[in-house]
Amino acid sequence: MKKGLIAATLAAAVLLAGSASAQIKIGFHAPQSGPAAADGKSSTIGAEIARDWINEKGGVLGQKIELVIYDDQNKPDQSVPIANKLIGQDKVVAAISGSYSGPTRAAAAVFQQARIPYISAYGVHPDITKEGNWAFRGVQLGQPQGKGAAKFIADKFGKVKVAMLTMNNDFGQSIAEGFKEEAQKLGLTLVKEYTFGLGERQFGPIVASVKNDNPDVIYAIGYYFVGGPLVAQVRAGGLKQPIVAAQAFDSMKLIEIAKDAAEGIYIVGGMDRGRKDPADFQPYLAEFKKRAGYDAEAVSANCYSAVMLMADAIKRAGSTDPAKIRDALAATKDFAMLTGPLGYFNSVGELYSPLEVTQVKGGQFVGVTVIDDQAILAPPK
Amino acid sequence: MSAYIASLISVIGINLILALSLNIITGFCGQVSLGHAAFYGLGAYTAAYLAKLGAPLPLTLLAGMAMAGAIGIVVGLTSLRVRHDFLAVTTMGIGFVFLGFVRKQKWLGGELGISGIPGSGLDAVTYALLIAGFAMAVLGFSLWIKQSWMGFTFDAVADDEDAARTVGVNVSTYKLTAFGIGTALAGLAGGLYVYFARIILPDTFDFVQSIAILTMVVIGGTGSVWGVFAATIALTLLPEVSRAAADYRLLIFGAMLMLVMRFSPGGLAGLVKRKPA
Amino acid sequence: MLFVELIVKGLVYGCMYAMMAVGLTLVYGLLRILHIAHAGVFALGAYMTVTVANATGSLALGFLVATAVSAVAGTAIYRLAYQPILHHAAFVPMVVSIGLFIVMQEGFRLIFGAYGIAFDTNPWYVANVSLAGISLTYVEIAMVIMSVVLLVGFGLFAGLTRAGIGWRATVTDPQMATSFGVDPVRVRYVNFLFGSALAGIAGGLVGLLNNYVEPTMGGAVSYKALAIIVLGGLGSVRGTLIASLVLGVVEAFGAIYLADIFDRDAIGFLFLIVVLMVRPQGLLGRG
Repeated sequence: MKKGLIAATLAAAVLLAGSASAQIKIGFHAPQSGPAAADGKSSTIGAEIARDWINEKGGVLGQKIELVIYDDQNKPDQSVPIANKLIGQDKVVAAISGSYSGPTRAAAAVFQQARIPYISAYGVHPDITKEGNWAFRGVQLGQPQGKGAAKFIADKFGKVKVAMLTMNNDFGQSIAEGFKEEAQKLGLTLVKEYTFGLGERQFGPIVASVKNDNPDVIYAIGYYFVGGPLVAQVRAGGLKQPIVAAQAFDSMKLIEIAKDAAEGIYIVGGMDRGRKDPADFQPYLAEFKKRAGYDAEAVSANCYSAVMLMADAIKRAGSTDPAKIRDALAATKDFAMLTGPLGYFNSVGELYSPLEVTQVKGGQFVGVTVIDDQAILAPPK
Repeated sequence: MSAYIASLISVIGINLILALSLNIITGFCGQVSLGHAAFYGLGAYTAAYLAKLGAPLPLTLLAGMAMAGAIGIVVGLTSLRVRHDFLAVTTMGIGFVFLGFVRKQKWLGGELGISGIPGSGLDAVTYALLIAGFAMAVLGFSLWIKQSWMGFTFDAVADDEDAARTVGVNVSTYKLTAFGIGTALAGLAGGLYVYFARIILPDTFDFVQSIAILTMVVIGGTGSVWGVFAATIALTLLPEVSRAAADYRLLIFGAMLMLVMRFSPGGLAGLVKRKPA
Repeated sequence: MLFVELIVKGLVYGCMYAMMAVGLTLVYGLLRILHIAHAGVFALGAYMTVTVANATGSLALGFLVATAVSAVAGTAIYRLAYQPILHHAAFVPMVVSIGLFIVMQEGFRLIFGAYGIAFDTNPWYVANVSLAGISLTYVEIAMVIMSVVLLVGFGLFAGLTRAGIGWRATVTDPQMATSFGVDPVRVRYVNFLFGSALAGIAGGLVGLLNNYVEPTMGGAVSYKALAIIVLGGLGSVRGTLIASLVLGVVEAFGAIYLADIFDRDAIGFLFLIVVLMVRPQGLLGRG
């Protein structure tokens, strides 16, 4: 009897050990070379931190998570073979894009056809989720982000005149569309919309023209590396109006570049760095800094949360069957992401999440308010 | 054939058409172009636009070719007016103007490009074979031109325009022909790309893409069809076999470009078949 | 008022373009090479300025090191990359130059990081002088003064000194100059030394202007500088200067009034193509 018990325990131990060493493979692609490599590096580190922390706590379903990571060079013609390779050779059960819209949209079609659940961690192109019901987005679409900004401006400053400075890319364009739509409803006046390229660093002409328009508020959509020089030149040009900016301004680099000129900027969709919840937020900021050597921004946090969300879905599915993972993902309710709570996914895989508004104060991003308005932020179908 | 292999074949096929078509302009006819991606983009945008309107695949591909070729001939006209180095910068400029225009056009999706493109109606493997078929046709066509009378004339124009003119070659016609053929084929590659990626964004057709195509041509050996063929396949597969070294990929790319041209301006083909000094 | 301010801003950026483009035009005038890697030297200057300034706290030392390193780097590029292949078609050194530029850009990214570097202290970046409603930052003013001083200095050198006259003679007719005792190889070295130093200083200034030094910062400037030297009529220094200022102003107006149809990068090239259709030899080219 005793012998039997020992044998059974041993057998169970062996079985457990066996299953714990088996890996759940999740595909991950991000740009790791060329001009887009900066965000690709951050997103990969974010995803790796999530993987390591999950595995330190014993993995999911008794198995370790393995990320199969490939460089997509920010090109659709790279992400399509990568998606096929992840499916056919690596046999992943789920996949995450830590990349921009182009490669993500192209890969989404491949994952859809192979019926593999897929999360776009920060790609904002509206069509990424439109291919079918296997693609989800771990970040608000541009449209609700823009609408949220319009609401913030209207609430904070009233029916004011706004000059809009938009970056030329899918991120800029989709946010701008949402903003313009909502601004009109809320009675804001758009005096003029200016556009500039990602490579633009000299904003003298735009600043001169904005000065001429004399708006009450400046709304700027761009990445931090465009935003830094932009706000500095706006201030140097003698413009004292409040600046409200979009999510991608959220990087400590912005403050490093713009220095004092960054003081007072509002960021709609930013991250309050002093926030205590969720519980893994502060440890994440510290761990990221340790691994990367620079401060974490939203892009890396999005990728971290996407991996965490996928692992959570696998746990809730109780299975590594892609169909069950997909169903579990679709049923997600109130999941704590680093960038804010994910309320739910709508029928096309777009999330609802409140937007945090931060302000630069004393060289830090400090929380100002949270926009949690279903009417405005509800994801479009 | 696995879907992975099929997608690799598709990418290789598209790159082959791009490189071989640039080789006709730059390799055969000696007209430097730093804006080939613009014609790739013209074909892609034309095909995608028509595909969204419901046009069938053969029509969209043909329209893409026609559009790229027509604009290509117009650009070719500048090659008649400006001298060599001007042409390099002018074609580069065409690339920037194309991109700068397209990204501002609401009816072409602006920055969001064109997506939601209907499928080709073929499964991934058959479509890959179709692309491969086109690539082989372009390869055969290149080989045919090279040893045809037209090829010899291109050679003469590339070597010494004035000498060619004195022996009665209508240099202008040949230059325009090279531009027309080369850019139309780039347009074909664009059309094929549309059904492969099912999304096109302006930045896919940027200056870096033009340089990538040029790299395949010069590393293979400007003017050498088989050299360009081999280099294109090798360069396209390089990231597949060395995914681990992703961080150094572009660095290696640039170094190869520099070193090959520095030590063997004839490219790989020049290494294989060194002309007696 | 807006018009005046746009012109002023355009001229400031024109000065920045000029400092880049003059080096390119010097190289082209002498060797008929489209020296695209010049933009890499420009970025190198910016990196040297920011790293030295941040490490030592001395911006002056930063510029000094940047000037020296850029000058040496540019000369080394000539010696190692171009000189051995000058007998090939112009296309060959141009492609080498493109390869080298990619290597430099990626090298900066790998060594200094993809996220770029800001100056620790950069008081002149926002501080400005306001005159009749037009404000210029100290860095912008420095850029204008620096470019005027350096370019006038160069003009005096070329016009008045023995070495300068030898230089001009070499550009016009290398063989004739050689027979008059000018050493053409030395002229080439001086050429790269001066042009690259200028680009390095321009890089440091642009780094200050943006308060941001990044791996790709050479890119936009390099394309524009190429457009400028073609616009000016390849090899013509005076043409290049005029083209730089004209492009700066055209872009400033384009960024405001043409932005719905073309982006700013396209405006410069569109202008170039239009000019070339009318004058295939460029603004001041000799045909």
